[in-house]
Amino acid sequence: MATLYLIFIIFLGGAILTYYAGKLGSVLQDIIFLATILGATSLFYAGVHINDFMSFNPGGITLTWGINYFGWLFSLIVLGLGSLAAVYSVGYMKGKKRRGYFYFNFILSIMAMLGILVSQDLISFFIFWEIMTWSSYLMVIYNGKDDQKLGLKYFIFSAIGAYAMLMAIVMVHSVTNTFLIGNMIEAYPQMSLSWQIWIPILFLTAFGVKAAMMPLHVWAPGAYSSSPMAYTSVFSGALSKMGIYGMVIILVTMISHLPQGIWFRETLAWLGGLTAALGTLWAIKQDDAKKLLAYSSIAQLGYIITGVAIGTELGLLAGLFLAVMHALFKGTLFMVVGAIEKQTGTTNFTEVTGLIRKMPWTFFSALLAIIALAGIPPLGGFVGKWMLYEALITSNHYLLVILIFFASTAAFLYCYKFLFGFFMGQEEKEWEHVKEAPATMVVPMVLMALFMAVLGSWPGIILNPINNGLVDLGFVSTYKHLWDTSILFNSWGNQVVLKPLLYSVVAIFVFFAIVLIWKGFKGTRYVSTKDISSSGEVPGENENLTFSLGFAQPFLRAVGPVMKRQIDRYYTEFADGLESFFEFLRRIYTGNGQTYAIYVFVFVVIVLLFKDVLF
Amino acid sequence: MELFINILGAIVTFLVAFIVGMTYGGLNRKITARVQNRKGPPFYQNFIDAFKLSSKETAIHHGIMHYLGPAFLMVSSVMTLLIVPVFTNNGWFPNLNFKGDLIFLIYIMTFGPLGMALGSGQTGNPNAAIGVTRGLSQMVGFEIPWVMALIALMIQYHTTSIEGLMEAQAQTGTWFMFSSPFAFIAAILAMFGMFRYSPFDIVSAPTELASGPASENGGKYLFVMMSSGSVFTFAKLTLYVDLFLGGAANLPVLLLKTFALYLIPILYGMTTPRYRTEQAIRWFWGWPSFFGLLAIIQAVIL
Amino acid sequence: MVGTPVLFIAIPLLAAFLIPLLGMIWKELVRIVPGLVLIYLLILAVNLLDHVMVHGPIIEIIAGWAPPIGINLVFSAFSGFLVTIMIFLGLLIWLYSYRFKKNVGYEPAKKYFLLLMMLITGSVGIVLTGDIFNMFVFIEITGISAYGLTAFYTGRDSAEASFKYLMLGSIASTFLLLAIMIIYSQLGTLNMADIANRIHTMNPTYKIISLIFFITALGIEAEIFPLNGWAPDAYSEAPGPVGAAFAGIVVKASVYAIIRYIFTIFDVDGAFNFLIIIGMLTLIIAEMAAIRQEKLKRMLAYSSIGQMGLVLVAFGFGTEEGVYAALFLMLNHAIIKSLLFFSGSYLVYNSKDKLIAEMNGLGKKLPITSFLFALGAFAIIGLPPFAGFWSKLSVLTAAADKNMIFIMSLILFVSLIELVYYLRVVNRLYNSKEKASSIEVKKPTANALITMLVLGGLILLIGFYPDVVTGVLHKASAALMDKSQYIHNVLSINQ
Repeated sequence: MATLYLIFIIFLGGAILTYYAGKLGSVLQDIIFLATILGATSLFYAGVHINDFMSFNPGGITLTWGINYFGWLFSLIVLGLGSLAAVYSVGYMKGKKRRGYFYFNFILSIMAMLGILVSQDLISFFIFWEIMTWSSYLMVIYNGKDDQKLGLKYFIFSAIGAYAMLMAIVMVHSVTNTFLIGNMIEAYPQMSLSWQIWIPILFLTAFGVKAAMMPLHVWAPGAYSSSPMAYTSVFSGALSKMGIYGMVIILVTMISHLPQGIWFRETLAWLGGLTAALGTLWAIKQDDAKKLLAYSSIAQLGYIITGVAIGTELGLLAGLFLAVMHALFKGTLFMVVGAIEKQTGTTNFTEVTGLIRKMPWTFFSALLAIIALAGIPPLGGFVGKWMLYEALITSNHYLLVILIFFASTAAFLYCYKFLFGFFMGQEEKEWEHVKEAPATMVVPMVLMALFMAVLGSWPGIILNPINNGLVDLGFVSTYKHLWDTSILFNSWGNQVVLKPLLYSVVAIFVFFAIVLIWKGFKGTRYVSTKDISSSGEVPGENENLTFSLGFAQPFLRAVGPVMKRQIDRYYTEFADGLESFFEFLRRIYTGNGQTYAIYVFVFVVIVLLFKDVLF
Repeated sequence: MELFINILGAIVTFLVAFIVGMTYGGLNRKITARVQNRKGPPFYQNFIDAFKLSSKETAIHHGIMHYLGPAFLMVSSVMTLLIVPVFTNNGWFPNLNFKGDLIFLIYIMTFGPLGMALGSGQTGNPNAAIGVTRGLSQMVGFEIPWVMALIALMIQYHTTSIEGLMEAQAQTGTWFMFSSPFAFIAAILAMFGMFRYSPFDIVSAPTELASGPASENGGKYLFVMMSSGSVFTFAKLTLYVDLFLGGAANLPVLLLKTFALYLIPILYGMTTPRYRTEQAIRWFWGWPSFFGLLAIIQAVIL
Repeated sequence: MVGTPVLFIAIPLLAAFLIPLLGMIWKELVRIVPGLVLIYLLILAVNLLDHVMVHGPIIEIIAGWAPPIGINLVFSAFSGFLVTIMIFLGLLIWLYSYRFKKNVGYEPAKKYFLLLMMLITGSVGIVLTGDIFNMFVFIEITGISAYGLTAFYTGRDSAEASFKYLMLGSIASTFLLLAIMIIYSQLGTLNMADIANRIHTMNPTYKIISLIFFITALGIEAEIFPLNGWAPDAYSEAPGPVGAAFAGIVVKASVYAIIRYIFTIFDVDGAFNFLIIIGMLTLIIAEMAAIRQEKLKRMLAYSSIGQMGLVLVAFGFGTEEGVYAALFLMLNHAIIKSLLFFSGSYLVYNSKDKLIAEMNGLGKKLPITSFLFALGAFAIIGLPPFAGFWSKLSVLTAAADKNMIFIMSLILFVSLIELVYYLRVVNRLYNSKEKASSIEVKKPTANALITMLVLGGLILLIGFYPDVVTGVLHKASAALMDKSQYIHNVLSINQ
């Protein structure tokens, strides 16, 4: 079991070494960085046994570390995505400043996330949680320009969550006298009702912030878009999942014991649904790919929250499967944006167009990721969506399913916007020099894209670990044997046999593609995108006709009333109000010695007057 | 052997769908003309057009996605067709060995337009992209009542499969059109958006967008698009018949029912001017969604 | 046993008097001698603390008169712990300001070190003494040297700040004297243990009035709201290390005095709740004021006040966990706030107004200092895995054990404010977008850098391995809680 120690030592030592190795040469730095992440990852999967726990007592507090099946499932996201993103980072960070800073925080984030998963007690959970928060905060301000104080906003929201969690932790401690999660769960049913309600609320606040749940999501667009893309893929793909991880634990272990738990579930599920819908609408509005993906992440996390909140087995499976999928496709998409940013220097749809022929592999990964995101068969995204719908319908959430459907359909708009904005449209002279991204960046993207395709036909690869994890959480699995690698089942007994179905899709598609390509593609001539019919005129060389400004405006006009109010503004107003109140209070300190002397006497008089009450 | 029969059945289904869809398209043009007091082309005009288009030489492409765009469309249409049970007893055309999950179907139906959207995006023609965004926006509009209707059926009969719903109709002996009238109304209203006839023809919008996504496509591209459109039309109509009109046991009945349904979207608003996109979206979120809601309420109560 | 507690008072006092004389021999001695003295005292303190941990408190009688008549010094785990922190901090302050001669002449340096030694003498005396009048004397010694240090930069503003301090300090002395008089007139004794032994015989009205006077007097020194008007000015006008000395040494001594009165001497139960109330008030008002400050040192001053409020709240829980938490907070506050004062004063070294707004982009120019400041900021906010986290956790645990959910949520809310203003500063340090500050930076001297690195290292050490201090803290808090043992130890010395 000492392997776990060793892994954390590798992470910590690797982080520090990488930070200082920059002075010796960037190649060495890259090697140490990769060796740290990949070494720790392989050591984790080779040397750490599931359900093997160890304890130690720093500062008189018993801490227990070890991993169970549920944590193991999430470790796949963290370490899998983390490793690929690490490889990607090496290419992405080439020639950039502050590499040591980046690598240091990258490693610490991965370490912290793994730490969260192995923590079996609340204190180490909290410690790792906070390390995760500040290392990601440092990433958000990596660029050194914290416009509009995005980093600060992120940190404040994280801190609200963290303090809520800390409060819950000490409340639990005052009852159980230990910090072990197991003891908390055991003691929970015996607590008083108000505590039974408050403790989950406090925990869910913390997890809701990280999972970017409405109305705690306002930090996410800024934070996701301003940290370096190589990190954002982990930030959005894996780090947000820690919120989901915690949420599932709380939902399953606490709320299911609570008679009022239904209200928690419904509220959470609806919040998830609203997050999905509004996140989608805001994503459509964005002209910057980073912002678009950031809002899309919020929306996707909304689906996941809805899935896990409804709490039936199908719902949890759907939510967790979507979580894995989201890590894959959003990780890929942020990497795509990073590649484009690196090659062109901008991520704005109104500036860069027509990259499809210049960056074909990037396009390929983006295409598969978008298909998965949109939930279109035959990629894995559909499996998750299907299970989510079935779970919602079979658990009688009829209006919620409409909301989710609305969100998923509207998501097509931003999916198209993403693909169209970057890769389609007219090819401009300005971007003629653009080349495909280096191999270290392309390979991770393509690998993830292919894995998504595999999951579309064989979702059992992920469903089985999910099921193990749920059993570990004490969830009674009634028909888990039916979760074959290629069959999906809902509780009404409808089943989707994915293999033959999807084979046929693929077969038909390949048939059409081959027939058409065989006959036509070689025989036809490529003409540039300037050679088009445009009201009878042919656009000139420097006329860019690409439709990118005001994209999907009619739709936005139609949903205008919903988007009129931004919750962000309320927060800002609230904060401003607080600050003016503080300013008012600050004036108690007048700077005048006489007033201070008067304060002393007033204090004495008041205390003397009320001495019988006070003492 | 069984596989061979399956494949044969699929091909026959496809041919039938192609012919019927093309004919319906021609009839549509004829009817429209008569309503507008024109003579109009003969009902087989679509076949002539298709023949002409298919015999044209394809000379150019704007890149691989453009080239494959129509193929995506075709794949989606064929997939839809193969999933929708054509006849009630399903003996002749089992097609895919699949119970026909409705949610899967909805997603398969969106697959083609999105692929086509990518293809027309690559042409670099602004009209194409504008048309695509309009189409996607309208889709968000009509999917709401459509999904509401479907969910109403699903929750009432505890199944998400088309076959299951058809069996339910067979057992009760009444069509859902009568037993779940609100769902039917909502679905029919959603159908207007699905078929994109006036006043919901905002996607191709001939006078505005120069036929939108289809611009820059001619010859074989247009032929594939046209035939896939025809197949899709047939598939959608069959789906409606399966869901609301109790399905059809043989071809004449199927033709009768589908054509009756087909008349609704072409006749509605034939003389009405085109909606703007946001008006269209809001139209779908108005009465159609209200009926969808009623359908769900009805399903919950029953 | 390498020495006795009385050395803690005698040696620095002697050194303070000798400094001018030594300066006549060799000017350098002025700066070397305090360091040697403090190193010796630190060794002594650690040794004694080690001894006390095992063998129980050391009671020393001054001038041969046994208590309750004579004056005695008590070096228990509790007071010894505080003395060790203070001397350690004094040593760091000395190290930090060692090479200040370069820009400060010999005369000011002489005064500075003299006053610093006096300050340490007085503060240590407050903690060690077992006699309330003796404590008054030490408070006066501390006060006078503190006024002097505040006015160190001979200018209008520092003189004004010093005057305010002096004025409130005199009020404090008056109240303190009044309180002592009441006690003496009622009980006829000045020995703490003796008073504690007989306090129940006292007339309750007199008892409470004298308690109120004590709290008022000591509250002025301990920066309790609303008695702390002097503090922001004094902190911001005095040199950076003096700010650290106020926060780490003077205020700690005064808080000790309050705690000694409430825990040991008086038997008024309501005093604990009163501590919580005034502690919370101090905490909230100070943090709210801190967020609106434009000058770095003022901000740190308010933050320091707030921390002391939190310490009082923790003591106010009246449980052993509460005392443990309070001591942990005091320790962390001493380390972290000193680091912030030290690094902060280099960050705004050449700036005239010492504004936070002038700190843009200093992370590039002063990387190590900025990093240490950021580390300190993270630690004081209570982010794990730094030192501040453990104390915050213990405060909250103590609050939860007393079932004070409301207090807990207030503390956390205030922590949020604290986080905001510290992060604003850190954000500025690493913000390269806005126009970088044009003010020329001052690189820290080697000794200052070592001081800061030591403090930074301690923050990490305690953060990663809290066991280094928790043992001492537990002993110290147990020593404070055991009132009867204290009385017994002191009063049995004459048998």
